[in-house]
Amino acid sequence: MSDFQKVATLDEISAGGRKSVVFDDRAVLVLRIGNDVYAVEDVCSHDGQPLTEGPVVGTAIECPRHGARFDVRNGRPLCMPAVEPIATYEVKIEGNDILLRGR
Amino acid sequence: MSTSATIATPIVSRAAGFSRADFESFLKSRREPNWLVARRQAAFDTYEQKLSEPLSPEEYKRVDLRAFQPARFAVGAAAPAPAQFETLLEKRAEFGGAVSHLDGHCVVARLDEKLAGRGVLFGSLAELLQTKRDLLEPHLMSRAVRADADRFAAWHAAFCTGGTVLYVPKNVAVEAPLYSLIGLSAAGAADFSHTLVILEDGASATLLEETGSATPANAGLHVGAVELLVGAGANLRYVQLQNWNQQVWHLGHQAGRVARDASLQWTVGGIGARLAHIHQEVTLDGPGASGEVNGVTFATNRQLLSYYTQQTHKAPSTRSDLLYKDVLRDEARVVWRGMIRVDPDAQKTDGYQRNDSLLLSADCRADAIPGLEIEADDVRCTHGATAGRVDAEQIFYCMCRGLSRYEAMHMIVEGFFHGVYDRIAVEAVRETLSHAVKRKLGIDR
Repeated sequence: MSDFQKVATLDEISAGGRKSVVFDDRAVLVLRIGNDVYAVEDVCSHDGQPLTEGPVVGTAIECPRHGARFDVRNGRPLCMPAVEPIATYEVKIEGNDILLRGR
Repeated sequence: MSTSATIATPIVSRAAGFSRADFESFLKSRREPNWLVARRQAAFDTYEQKLSEPLSPEEYKRVDLRAFQPARFAVGAAAPAPAQFETLLEKRAEFGGAVSHLDGHCVVARLDEKLAGRGVLFGSLAELLQTKRDLLEPHLMSRAVRADADRFAAWHAAFCTGGTVLYVPKNVAVEAPLYSLIGLSAAGAADFSHTLVILEDGASATLLEETGSATPANAGLHVGAVELLVGAGANLRYVQLQNWNQQVWHLGHQAGRVARDASLQWTVGGIGARLAHIHQEVTLDGPGASGEVNGVTFATNRQLLSYYTQQTHKAPSTRSDLLYKDVLRDEARVVWRGMIRVDPDAQKTDGYQRNDSLLLSADCRADAIPGLEIEADDVRCTHGATAGRVDAEQIFYCMCRGLSRYEAMHMIVEGFFHGVYDRIAVEAVRETLSHAVKRKLGIDR
C-alpha cells in the first residue's frame, strides 16, 4: 500500500465543489460534499469516459452522458447502465491539505 | 446543487519543454538551412493554434490523456552516451542496411555498398534533408502526413528530431530487408522521429523498424510520424514493432499512399508503451492499388493502446484488407476505431476490416468500432469485430491433454495470434512477434 500523497488543499474546493487531479497516474475527482471529502476514479465504468462534470446528488455522482450513478463513498454502481464499480481512494485531511491513498 | 468544477489543465499545455521559448532554443541548437527553419516555424504556429482547439472527439474520445504531462519531457541537445538495447529484430535476419536513433540522435547509418551504387538512399533524415534536398523536400510532410492534420502532427513537424529515410529509385529491387531502430534511453527523453520511405515506380523494398527502451523504468516520449510513398507498380513491406518499456508515451501519425498497381503490406506490433495512440491511414490512389494492414497488440498491466485506422479508396479496382488482433490482460485497455472510406469514383473497391480481441482478465477492456463511409455504388466492403474471453472448454480440452492451465492459456493466445502471423510474409517478423508475445506472457526469456 502506497503512502498518502497531497493532491489538493481544502481552500481550493468550496463546499459542494470538486477538483480534477492526477493521482497514481490516474485521473481522480476529489469531491467536497458538506464537510466530507471523497475521491473517486474519474472514469465511468460504463463508457470509459470522464465523470468530471457529472451532477452530485447526496453521496452519488451521476455520469453526465448516460445517467449511471455511483456511490462516491465506495464506488458502487447505483443504477443502470453501469454494473461495475469505480475505484475510490482513501482521503485524509491534515490541516488544509487533502491527501489520498489507494485502497 | 452546486457544481463549481475545477477542470484539469489542458491536455497538452504550453508548459516547460515545448513553449515558444523552448522552440526558439531548439531551433538554435539545430543550425539548419532557412527553408527547413521556415517549415518548422509554420508548424509551430499551427501547433499553437491547434492547442487552443479541442482534439477530434471521434479519434481521441477514448484516449485518456489526462495524466499526460509533456513538461516532464524534453529534446536532448547532445547525443546521449551509447546505450545497450535488447532488440528483438536486429539479430534475426541479414540486413542490407541499418539506421539507429537514440533519444532523437542518429548513432548508426549503414547501407550495403552495392545498394548505394544502384542509387538507394538509406540513412539519417536530418543529414539527407540537407544533402539531398531536391529529392526529399517535395515528399516530406506534403502528401502523406500533413503538419496541419492535428495537434500531434503539428507538434511533431515543429520539433522533428530526425529519423530514417529510405529512397529506392525506379525499378530497383532491394532484396535484403533493411533495419531501423528508434531508441529511448535517458529519463525524460523526447524523440520526435520521422520515418520517410519513398519507392519510385516499379521499386521494391522491405523495411523493418522497431522501437525500444534501454531501461525498463525510464519514462520517455515519442511523437512520431511515418510516411510511406509507394510509386506505381512498386511493392513495399513495412513493419513497425513498438516495444517501448511501459513508461513511454507514444503518439504517432502514420500514413501510406499507394499508386496504381502498387502494393503495401504494413504490419504494426504494439507490445510496449504506457499509452500509445497511432493514427494510421492507407490511401489507395491509383487503380489496382492494394493495401494490407496487419496488427498484433498485446496489452498488460495498465497499458492503453489505441489505434485509429483509415483505409481510403480513391480510385477504382483497389483493394484493402485490415486485420488487427489484440490480447489484453490485467487492467489494460485497447481501443480500435477503423474506417473504410470509398470515394464516388472508386467503383469495384474491395475493402475489408476486422478486429478481434481476446480478454484474459475481468478488468481489461477492449473497444472496437468499425466504420464504413461509401460514396460509390458498386463495391464490396465488409467489416467485423469480435471480443471474448478464453473459452473454458478449450482450456479444459488442453488440460485433459496434460497441459497446465497456464500452458493452456498461453497456447490459446499463440493460436489466436496465428491468424495474423500467417498473413505476414517476412519470416523474421513472424518469429519476432511470436517471441515478443511469449516473452510478455512470461514463458520465453
